[in-house]
Amino acid sequence: MNLNYSEEQVMLREQIQKFCESEYDFYTREKIVKSSDDFDSNVWKLFAEQGWLSMPFSEENGGLGFGAVELAVLFEEFGKALVIEPYLATVVLSGTLLDKSNYSKKNDLIEKICSGDMHISLAYAEANKNYDYLNSDTTLDNNILNGTKTLVLNGGNSDKVIVTCIKDKKLTLVIIDSNTKGVSINSFKTIDDQSCAEISFENVEIDNDAIIACDLEAIELINESINLATLCVSAEAVGCMESCYLKTVEYTKGREQFGQPISNFQVLQHRMVDMFVESELAKSLLFKAMLEVDSNSEDKYKHVSALKSQIGRSGKLSAQDAVQLHGGMGVSEEMMIGHYLKKMVSIDALFGNSDYHLKKFAS
Amino acid sequence: MDINFTKEDIAFRDEVRDWLNNGGYPKHVKEKTDKGITISKQDQIDFHKALAEKGWMGYNWPKEHGGTGWSATQLYIFNKEFGLAGCPPLLAFGVSMVAPVIWTFGNDEQKAKYLPDILNFNTWWCQGYSEPGSGSDLASLKTKAVLENDHYIVNGSKTWTTLAQHADWIFCLVRTDNSGIKQEGISFLLIDMNTPGIEVKPIITIDGEHEVNSVFFTDVKVPVENLIGEEGKGWTYAKFLLAHERFGIASVGASMRQLNKLKKIVSELDNPELDKKIHELEVSLSALEITELRLLSALENGGHPGAESSILKIKGTEMQQNISQLYVEAAGEYAIMYPGPHGYLSNDKPAGPDYAANSLSAFLNLRKTSIYGGSNEIQKNIISKFVLGV
Repeated sequence: MNLNYSEEQVMLREQIQKFCESEYDFYTREKIVKSSDDFDSNVWKLFAEQGWLSMPFSEENGGLGFGAVELAVLFEEFGKALVIEPYLATVVLSGTLLDKSNYSKKNDLIEKICSGDMHISLAYAEANKNYDYLNSDTTLDNNILNGTKTLVLNGGNSDKVIVTCIKDKKLTLVIIDSNTKGVSINSFKTIDDQSCAEISFENVEIDNDAIIACDLEAIELINESINLATLCVSAEAVGCMESCYLKTVEYTKGREQFGQPISNFQVLQHRMVDMFVESELAKSLLFKAMLEVDSNSEDKYKHVSALKSQIGRSGKLSAQDAVQLHGGMGVSEEMMIGHYLKKMVSIDALFGNSDYHLKKFAS
Repeated sequence: MDINFTKEDIAFRDEVRDWLNNGGYPKHVKEKTDKGITISKQDQIDFHKALAEKGWMGYNWPKEHGGTGWSATQLYIFNKEFGLAGCPPLLAFGVSMVAPVIWTFGNDEQKAKYLPDILNFNTWWCQGYSEPGSGSDLASLKTKAVLENDHYIVNGSKTWTTLAQHADWIFCLVRTDNSGIKQEGISFLLIDMNTPGIEVKPIITIDGEHEVNSVFFTDVKVPVENLIGEEGKGWTYAKFLLAHERFGIASVGASMRQLNKLKKIVSELDNPELDKKIHELEVSLSALEITELRLLSALENGGHPGAESSILKIKGTEMQQNISQLYVEAAGEYAIMYPGPHGYLSNDKPAGPDYAANSLSAFLNLRKTSIYGGSNEIQKNIISKFVLGV
């Protein structure tokens, strides 16, 4: 047994930390958020130069061949810095799906993702389907696509969209250019300063070579992609939880009331200890989940659900406590701490909330 | 023992309901608040003026100052019915915060000058208490007032000042003396917000709303006749004021309304986990309501409920927060979308439930309730010190 990060993994974490400290402090992030763009394309270029956009792709497809552990390291650090660039949408949800598929044109697409020249979104969700992503009312009949997708992460900025639909009663994955005739995209801000879109397809003509996968293969690709994305956002939550307790400890040590730092008060100390303990427990479930995913075990879905269920509750509570212990500063937009709470709300809502994953874990 | 209200109280409740449902509560304000739309300054004024016209603005004032002279039970019913009707919370700063201080400690000129305008909602008041370095430890405040001839010269800053951007007046705790212990040397000043040297800067909260502000004072000249009571006695007046602030803090009526609306939403979701959480909150809310009634009953029987009322602050705010949390859970995946406090443009609305955006707004906004008015940690200190005696 060895539950320690390898030297390479430690170096990767340090590289990402250094980047976030020097190029992505909260002030810089605020500037990006308040700009007219949904993210900073220069930052995205830097991600490409660092090789991060190539991380999870297999080496034969031009990637670095990294696994879930490395992705989790990246997302933990992204969580701490509250990175808003659409890594999850383009690289994890769409990129890893293509990487694992037998789609004939995937190499060119992955190359463009790695170089930072292309964004692809995965349109997996529809209204009122309650996290059942294999259930779709979008249809593909005689190569004509009709339907509406919702909550498409980064959908407003993508060059291409991978769409789940039903063809001959079977789940099918097609990829189309966002500017194809009959595609209309309406983009919205998310609570954590990212964006997602509602995309409707009205009699959109699809080429034969736009079909990525059908039936069981399509189901497996979607399940794997969503599971990996669920792991990634959970790792992001773990990063947020660590930052929440560290920043709260720092704040309470510096904040003086009644002639002393408020960190002297035992009631606050115990709250912060709880936040620390919850952060460690979440990290433990993350270890289990990422190792199960990397070994491609049968239980990989179950353990990702255990993790997601736990962080949905404890992550939100930690962020709420962090806000509470920061007092008024906690609810003010110019402090970073309140933004962790928004991130935790968003993470809990994505890919099935705490209750949903607890049920999935038990079944 | 009898847990039911008297006939007279029921008649009073019906009168309040009748006013709320039959044209008293301005329709344009009701339409907005029912939809969860942020109301404007003018809406607030219209709402409060309507109340003043009915003669209910002085809901917690004695008759001698033009108030209703209601009993504690009537006050409770009034507050609960307003909450159940979904009214915006009544602005407390003038009518239930500064006014009792003025009629108790002010002189006749001050009473004549300020009270009628408060009763008619001609003036909008805000509260200058917290400072960047003085929150829970309010008595450490530093904003300085130095007497020069017939004026105080005020320098310093206040923070978290609710709706200062709309206010005509601010009541301030200021330091007039540094020589003794910190609670001494604090004075209670009324300051016209139009005085030169006052600057109001917005603080945007995590829900994207502009509700609170920083207020900066640079050589602000305040006439000496704006001092309430005696110089150096401000802390005593502030503590007196806090006792009046407890009115309606449990927000039982508003929470009942929110919970009932939520029940309707969730009944269509087929979500047993959420159903269970709602039932748990229903039980807690019932416990909160009866606790408030017990305190009320003790008060009506000549008792002096003291620190126990901190239970209402703690549990009332937790209840509001927990209900808002369940709305967010009911919104499911759509909880990731939040357009900010002013909602989507009507032709630009995404799929998903109508309540999603408002749920997020409330969830984020209500974080403040366990922080303001003496944080819930401070409330627990109060209970442990004054109730448990430890």
